[in-house]
Amino acid sequence: MEKIISWLANGGRAFALGLGLALAAPPAFAIDWSFKAFGTMAAMGTDTGQIGFRRDYTQDSGATSAWRGDIDSRLGLQLDADLSREFHAAVQWVARNHAGNFFEQNLEWAFVRWRPRDDLDLRLGRLGFDAFLLSDYRNVGYAYPWMRPPAEFYAPIFPYHFDGADIAKKFNVGEGWLTLKGYAGHSTVDVLEQSGANVNELEGLLFGGNLVYESGNWRARLGYAQIQPLKNLPQRTTGILSNPLVQAVWPGAQSIVDELSIEGKPLHFSSLGFAYDDGTWPVQAEAAYIDSNFASSLPSIATGYLSVGRRFGGVTVYSLFGVAESLNRRVQVAEVPAQAQVLTDLRNSIEQSLNNRGVDQMSASLGGRWDVYDNIALKAQWSHFWLGSNGTLFWLEPKPSLPDQVNLWSFGVDFVY
Amino acid sequence: MRRLLALLLMLAPAAQADVAVVVHAKNAVAALSPKEVQDIFLGRKRTFPDGRFALPVDQSSPLRAEFYQILTARPLEQINAYWARLLFSGQASPPRQLPDDAAVLKMVRENEGAIAYVDPKHVDHSVRLLLLLKP
Repeated sequence: MEKIISWLANGGRAFALGLGLALAAPPAFAIDWSFKAFGTMAAMGTDTGQIGFRRDYTQDSGATSAWRGDIDSRLGLQLDADLSREFHAAVQWVARNHAGNFFEQNLEWAFVRWRPRDDLDLRLGRLGFDAFLLSDYRNVGYAYPWMRPPAEFYAPIFPYHFDGADIAKKFNVGEGWLTLKGYAGHSTVDVLEQSGANVNELEGLLFGGNLVYESGNWRARLGYAQIQPLKNLPQRTTGILSNPLVQAVWPGAQSIVDELSIEGKPLHFSSLGFAYDDGTWPVQAEAAYIDSNFASSLPSIATGYLSVGRRFGGVTVYSLFGVAESLNRRVQVAEVPAQAQVLTDLRNSIEQSLNNRGVDQMSASLGGRWDVYDNIALKAQWSHFWLGSNGTLFWLEPKPSLPDQVNLWSFGVDFVY
Repeated sequence: MRRLLALLLMLAPAAQADVAVVVHAKNAVAALSPKEVQDIFLGRKRTFPDGRFALPVDQSSPLRAEFYQILTARPLEQINAYWARLLFSGQASPPRQLPDDAAVLKMVRENEGAIAYVDPKHVDHSVRLLLLLKP
């Protein structure tokens, strides 16, 4: 299985690179080109200076009472080419706040699609990670009513894309369409540690599948995805704990090294979602369980949201309620038997950091979207967050005396061109 | 009084008129239902019922809003949001937009698979009228 995924991933990466070159030097036969763009200009601020809000794990800064423009703002550019009736190529690059390599990490799509039949799509290259309802178009603010996808639900989905392949088959079932999709590949994501100290590269193999049924005003979705980390995160303490001298004094040290490792420990995303929109009432809800085997970096999380909106002509008002709770057991770190204060301090700090990576938050939001033109929408949203005592993993750079409630205000303009 | 009435009529939103769905004169496909036309224009179906490739042609004129309003009961911004989702997640591209009925009819005459909508008063024998959409 891993061999197949890695083969697909290599193929996908080579393809994505080759596609960039090929599009730069187009062949002689007639190609139908189209250039499209989307974007958001927005600002947000909160009522606390003690912790920073970010949309998701990939961002390298958070909004506080000092307002920021780069959390929700972005500009996406997409070039599409119809190579023939069966072959289509596309490249999408999005300028946005992303930790690590700004150019490479923000190359979201670069693929060739082969459509041998009306109801079958095969794509190879760099592709969106289609884990939840919104995860492969969450940059496109114009396509949804809120300022951003529900924070509790979308913050932990760190890969936006992967290099590999996917296949989708469509069936006509009853009045609607059933789409069955599978994908596999390799992903490398740069993420900032919660402390803000280091940017780490998360590298893994991923695969998944989903079932989507669309009929009239309804869209329902069942999905599963798995990520297998390929290497460990750099941990300063691992070197000390692996030292034979330390292990001689403290036999339990090795178990902490194992606890801190993430390599080969799979992360499972299971989700169920539905969306209803009759033109007047847009309603959407999703529930997911993220099953993690590496509590040292990400706990297991149960999460869900419900949004109900009402349109009055070009104005949509909506409410959104979201919740995320981590479910991992408390990690017991082996005691230090000998009287070695340095090791006892180290043990205590490791135990504290292992048990401080919880998610325990809820939020209620009220907002509005005003479609001022048929490709421009103004938006405003107020969100109120309740943070549990160890529940701030989605946020950045917590400082002592954390507030247990945070208000977040945001304003923006979305467009497609 | 009559002047006032005329002024009011001008200010009121234009009454919706019929929209004609047309195909190439040689296209022998049997009549399509509004739902089938909708599936083709929203990218859910890419062929006619006889299995031949369908090429939907859109307009950037004011008729576009009327067509989608009658067909889907949705305003343009919702149609555009729908396409933004599909286009920017690499699933499908929206139909090509031409400026007006004249350009659309020329395209339909030149492409056997084309399907388009125009003002009924511009339909002539050079194309085949497939369906008359009524508000």
